[in-house]
Amino acid sequence: MADTTNAKDQETIPFYPDHVRTEFRVVIGTVIVLLIIGALGLLSPVGLGQPADPMDTPAHIKPEWYFLALYQLLKYIDKTIGATLPVIALALLALWPFLDRKPDTSVKVKRVRSIAVAIVVVVLVAMTIWGEIS
Amino acid sequence: MRKFSRVIILIGVALGFVGFSVFIGFFATHAGAFSPDAEAGNKNNAADFDRIDPILSAPENQPNSLSASASLPPPQKDPCLHCHITGEDKNLWTPFFRWSFFSGVGVVFAYGLYRTTSAWRTRLPWKPFPRRAADWIEERYQIAEPVSKILNKPVPKYALRWWYCLGGITAFLFLVQGVTGIMLAFYYNPTPEAAYASIQYIETEVRFGSAIRMIHHWAANGMIVMCLAHMLRVFIMGAFKRPRELNWVSGILLLVLTLVFGFTGYLLPWDQRAYWATTVGTEIAGSIPGIGNLALVFLRVGWDVSGQTLSRFYSLHVLVAPLATVIFMLAHFMMVRRQGIARPL
Repeated sequence: MADTTNAKDQETIPFYPDHVRTEFRVVIGTVIVLLIIGALGLLSPVGLGQPADPMDTPAHIKPEWYFLALYQLLKYIDKTIGATLPVIALALLALWPFLDRKPDTSVKVKRVRSIAVAIVVVVLVAMTIWGEIS
Repeated sequence: MRKFSRVIILIGVALGFVGFSVFIGFFATHAGAFSPDAEAGNKNNAADFDRIDPILSAPENQPNSLSASASLPPPQKDPCLHCHITGEDKNLWTPFFRWSFFSGVGVVFAYGLYRTTSAWRTRLPWKPFPRRAADWIEERYQIAEPVSKILNKPVPKYALRWWYCLGGITAFLFLVQGVTGIMLAFYYNPTPEAAYASIQYIETEVRFGSAIRMIHHWAANGMIVMCLAHMLRVFIMGAFKRPRELNWVSGILLLVLTLVFGFTGYLLPWDQRAYWATTVGTEIAGSIPGIGNLALVFLRVGWDVSGQTLSRFYSLHVLVAPLATVIFMLAHFMMVRRQGIARPL
């Protein structure tokens, strides 16, 4: 069983034209999606809010969706910690390969990592949705 | 001897062609001089193009007094008479299309002439131009071997599964952002007085402006989604492990750069959302212990979000971040290329 999967993984295709052709199809698909988005943009543009006015602070200021989790977190924890946390998290993430050095030997390790990732993703998505609706 | 005589014939044909062109050209430009009213003593029309036109000159002998030409500029100052005659001088693009069409036809004609005479003269099989170009480059730079090595590099078959294309989509979306971003930058004006109005101009006046802005907006979001998805894939599959540690680090830097793109691009429309989101965002950066104030002043260029901040964010968005992204992306790709795609467990 393990032998056959291994043999299958050994199979290769030339980068050009086989691999490039597949990549090209992905690109075509992306372009089609983008053109549809562009056509929608002609019908209803992204638009603008009110012009910026430094004298008038609006009631609800929300960042883009990818900062919403942090935005929601900052409502409940101290600002200094909230600002430092993402920096530390990113540094930790960048250094992760140097901390987790054991080579993968079994599917079990992968499963544990998947579960950890799933928990983090669920928490972040929940925080983002919470930030969006609050 | 035989070959020499062929050269003579070719030169003769070429000279005949040139002579014929000059002959036709002379009559086309001096047609008015041979018309009846030129013989009648009308002297200042030697090179008068509108003499060719029967509509303007035929009914009466005084074309300038015609009601049809009342709104036109005087014949001597009109740059394009035949445009008025055929009623085509409406579109800015018309001359461009006309030039492209006729020069295209000319190139095709010259190609045919060259190909025919060359085959006839040298009696060698015709070598297509792309091959000529390839040979020309190969003769000078000898790149065929390294290029074929790159193109024929074997790629594992498992790399065709769909979750391996997430990083490629991110890279492609970055290119899309580059192209649409340049298009927007043609019209965008990074000053607090004019930024908002220039975005309105893009959305209402510029042809396809709103489509381009829409694509830029959603491809930005898509790029972040694809970036994160790619990162999750790599992390779950353990592809960051030895020997690919630096590839992971460069990937994290690319993620940070993508977020920098998002954060700086958000201010550029200079509306209330942009202004206050930036105010709050830079304030958060300002509360990092130790370097907070430095970060705040670096981002805002002063203690408040102002026109200086807009300039700073604009240059970060269109110069610094793209350059850094391109550099790290190249490093990322070259490392992938060198080490191959990680084998799944």
